[in-house]
Amino acid sequence: MIKSTEKTFLLFLLLISVGFVAHAYAAAPPLTMQIFSSSSLSGTAGDFVTVQGQIMNTGSKPLGDVTTYLSLMDNQNKLPVDLEDWSAEKGLYIGTIDAGQTLPLNWKIHFVKAGTYSLIMIAEAAGYDSPQVSSITQFNVSPKRNLNPKQVLPVALGTPIVLIFIVFLLAYRRRVEE
Amino acid sequence: MFTHIWKKEIRGELYTWKSMLWLVIASLLFSFTSYLLLTNQELSLLDQTELLWLLGKIMIGVALLIVTIDASSILNVEFEKETAESLFLSPISLRDLILGKLFASLTLWAAIFVISIPYIVVTSAGSHLAWAFMGYVALLGTLGVVGLVFLIFGISLLYRSSKNTITTALIILLAFATPALFTSTLKNDIVSQTFSAINPIDNIFNSLDNVLVDYKTSLLDNWQFLLPLIVFCVVAFLFLFLSAKRFTKQGIIKND
Repeated sequence: MIKSTEKTFLLFLLLISVGFVAHAYAAAPPLTMQIFSSSSLSGTAGDFVTVQGQIMNTGSKPLGDVTTYLSLMDNQNKLPVDLEDWSAEKGLYIGTIDAGQTLPLNWKIHFVKAGTYSLIMIAEAAGYDSPQVSSITQFNVSPKRNLNPKQVLPVALGTPIVLIFIVFLLAYRRRVEE
Repeated sequence: MFTHIWKKEIRGELYTWKSMLWLVIASLLFSFTSYLLLTNQELSLLDQTELLWLLGKIMIGVALLIVTIDASSILNVEFEKETAESLFLSPISLRDLILGKLFASLTLWAAIFVISIPYIVVTSAGSHLAWAFMGYVALLGTLGVVGLVFLIFGISLLYRSSKNTITTALIILLAFATPALFTSTLKNDIVSQTFSAINPIDNIFNSLDNVLVDYKTSLLDNWQFLLPLIVFCVVAFLFLFLSAKRFTKQGIIKND
């Protein structure tokens, strides 16, 4: 016969082992994401920068359905940013990474709007509930001012003036012909 | 023989101050837009490529509107003023008439494109996109205008009325243009995505976006947008061809 204390102990062991299994399933995939480019990139709106990094399978088994994508946050507004226009490739489906295999990850980022932003790379793999994330890359984007009235003013004023002159010239020529 | 019609139309359309005034107003619109985009404190914070994209859309939009109005009346005026009969008594075929009128409408587009060149040059200064911007405005604008003129001429031969043709043509233009201005959020379902893929104005705007915002300047990168535009021109031409056949069969004096 099992005593009640033993019963309690066995139940405790069972709960711990269930917890371990659940934890193992919820864990992030054995992937390492390293970023080689600077942790802080600066530029003017309109500039392009490349965030360089790599992804490595640190586990002993191949990982399937690996997908990486970017997440960008506006630090001033404390809101995530729609990657439309920031990057032509918002996500990259890698597929299978063999054990110990390393693959390069290069993301070309277009600075669209002035501000400070935080970028992270995220990787997901089949069979894992949690993603693996990279370290944060900070973007400091300064505004681009296209103020050039000296260039635009002659064209903005000159073109309609030239056209009005042509209109009057045609009207005059027509009157002379008549 | 169509050159005779073409010259006659051009003389009527671009030789008087009244018929040239719209071009001056179009240039004032381009002046206002480009000056505002380049000098306004808030708007000048826009990335230059987005600014070019906006200006390109305005240029092609203005051209499509003016050519739509012109093409809606250019053929019908011959029926309404009853000059079509005397025209066909001369050695001018329906093909010559349509070709002459088509070239006259295309000349209006060419005039708009020529006046837009200084604005393209000044707004794209320093972006290395001036040639691509100019080339794609010319290519996309020409494809859009040719398709639209074919379609409107086809309607003209069916209706033989300026008022009805212009109403139908403007509604068609609006039907093409309105979904093209929808945000990407409104284009998430399959119906709007399918319409967007075949809509000529959507394809024009998306190709400009591809060239100016994403720097994909080669024709190969824009083939997905150019192909639907070419298909639009072919379908519109077939519609015009069938309308012309029906018109020839019915004769100039239509018995309603």
